Amino acid sequence: MSKVTAFAGVDVGSLGTKTVIMAEGEIIGSAIIRTGINTEENGWNGLNAALENAGLTRDDLAYVVATGYGRISAPYANKTVTEITCHAKGAHYIHPQTKTIIDMGGQDCKAIRLDDDGNVADFAMNDKCAAGTGRFLEVMANVFKVSLDELGPLSLSATEVLPVSSTCTVFAESETVSLLARGEKPENIIVGIHHAISKRVGGMFSRVGVQNDVFFSGGVAKNVGMRKALEEALQIKIVEPRKDPQLAGAIGAAVIAESAWKRGR
Amino acid sequence: MAINQDLFHYPEAAKELFIRTEDITFRDGTRVSAEEIWEFLTKEAPVRFPHAFDNGRYNRNRISGDIALPYSLKDEYLSLTFNDRMLKAKQKGIPVAFVQGGQCVDPYYAAGAIALRPASVNQWAACQREGVTFTQAQVLREDDKERASQSISFEVCNTAGYEYIQEGSLPVDMIAPYSCLRCSDVSYSLEAHRHGKRQDVKLFLGDFPMADQKNKEWAVEYFAENIKRLIRSIDELTGRETTEEDLRKEIILHNEGRRLSREIAELWWAPDTPPTNGKDRRAILQMGGMEVHGDPEASLCVLREGKRFIEERVRKGVKGHGLIDKPARIFLCGSCVFPSDYRIEEGGGVIVGTDNHWSNISTLVEETGDPYYNLAKATLSYPYEQNVYERAKWTAEQIRKSRADGVLFMYNWGCNTQSAMARMLCDEIKKLVNVPTLIIEHEFQASQSEQLLNRVSAFVEML
Repeated sequence: MSKVTAFAGVDVGSLGTKTVIMAEGEIIGSAIIRTGINTEENGWNGLNAALENAGLTRDDLAYVVATGYGRISAPYANKTVTEITCHAKGAHYIHPQTKTIIDMGGQDCKAIRLDDDGNVADFAMNDKCAAGTGRFLEVMANVFKVSLDELGPLSLSATEVLPVSSTCTVFAESETVSLLARGEKPENIIVGIHHAISKRVGGMFSRVGVQNDVFFSGGVAKNVGMRKALEEALQIKIVEPRKDPQLAGAIGAAVIAESAWKRGR
Repeated sequence: MAINQDLFHYPEAAKELFIRTEDITFRDGTRVSAEEIWEFLTKEAPVRFPHAFDNGRYNRNRISGDIALPYSLKDEYLSLTFNDRMLKAKQKGIPVAFVQGGQCVDPYYAAGAIALRPASVNQWAACQREGVTFTQAQVLREDDKERASQSISFEVCNTAGYEYIQEGSLPVDMIAPYSCLRCSDVSYSLEAHRHGKRQDVKLFLGDFPMADQKNKEWAVEYFAENIKRLIRSIDELTGRETTEEDLRKEIILHNEGRRLSREIAELWWAPDTPPTNGKDRRAILQMGGMEVHGDPEASLCVLREGKRFIEERVRKGVKGHGLIDKPARIFLCGSCVFPSDYRIEEGGGVIVGTDNHWSNISTLVEETGDPYYNLAKATLSYPYEQNVYERAKWTAEQIRKSRADGVLFMYNWGCNTQSAMARMLCDEIKKLVNVPTLIIEHEFQASQSEQLLNRVSAFVEML
């Protein structure tokens, strides 16, 4: 059997570690694992899981790019690149017409504008406020005693949008508890939370300038309720991704790995 | 408890070349030879100031490592001897003034005083703490910040200065801000003085006329009177009488520093790959303001020698230490804060210029005629203090000269003036030079957050 020349992108985020293995421009393996407290170990575990998924070993890897907040502890990587650049490359790979990315990850939220080649033209980032992050939604899911994955589908059954004014995690949690206490339906509160987040992140998008096509990446992109709320609040149409949007950063890292290896870097 | 600290050591192999370089002559006429500097940096300083020798990735002020660049070592020497030199000056009865508002320091030295901006006062305070590791130094800085946050405002920055002056551990004799629209720091130091214990510290407020002030004769004359008043206030501390000639001589001396700094900048900007790294660029250009080490004559010695080394490096095509070929060039605007040069360089970029103090360093003062008027005219002409359109025009000119590929506007959290100006200035700059811009809010803390550095790295990748 001929030896595969494979490339890996490892995106060590605050909540999830995403890894993609690529060969000849195609994704041949991937893995998403929960990020633990040992950053370096998370990367190794993600890499091993994705290699196993691809049926390969570490010896098959020609080049590895690490991204995400864990990239600073990645001895397995040949190169590190910020997740802003990686999400751009990843979104361009998944949907080449992408001009704007909404990236909602575990601990921050970004608006990224791309040029025709998938390079970053401008970006804005919110890391001061928890609104628009996976962690915020995780706390809210906990209030409703549901899993993070259930929040989106639940919100689609809402009959009205209840206003949730706080986007501070602590105060939003108290506000949600108060709304539940007065007998409001959980789904109406959840849709209110999604709308509150959408409005909050709207400012970032006006700063970079929204252009079609719009791609939604990061773990929160899997939340159908959030996606619907963003489309309504920003009056945009978000493209249907042909790959898992949570993998966008890791895909971008793998694309960069292949390109760097070909350029001899 | 054993502390695992990666410390920088100057290699013995570099000694021979270094000790053949020039002495530093101080304002009081004393000298220190290159050999004495070497001994200090390799034996005494690592024991007294281990935090400064921390070679870890998160020490953004770590030693440059460009051992073939003598001025880099001399800059470290001057930084680490700050407390020793200030205490010596105090023993000789030389008053020290804490100055703010982007002012030049010519009048203070003409009147026989030492003028220190907030960053220098912080450096003085840091040098009072000996034997602390990098982590311990960070914890102490956070404690300073917390103390100042509680007693002044939670937005406060450059905190060591205010609190140490008020506690009396930094023997400053005068607080002298100009009331210009430069930074919110002025109001914080005034508040610190108002509520503080040290009411015996003299207060001087330079009343800075606003709005196209440089073109109004009355404003220049009014501000010249303020400078006279400032010098009289210092004379009250020293008991001497400063003459016009004293001021004129000082202006000529400081102009030499400003000129050298401008010439070095032109040399540094010329090659596609700069001749030094960002830290060493900042160190040498800052010296042109003649304030940074609390001794203009010492700064001049280093500047004169530094220019020759930069010239030689440019002529020979020497690449700056740690830089990649043709790095992405970033011009930094905004408050007095800056991101880690090393992180930018790791990502393939380099900071090529700043607008803040460069505004006054690059403004020469007329040497003939009334020195008070000339100084007032120059001070009121600083581009950084002009309206946003004029400031943008000047900044665009510096961006063109430094051949920057992008502009990073960084303002300190709590710096209300610069935060209000950021977007408008960036938009104007974009119109004039059409380069990408990024605005970042920075929180004054012991170490820069990963989020902040992440944005900067992404901007470098984008460029």
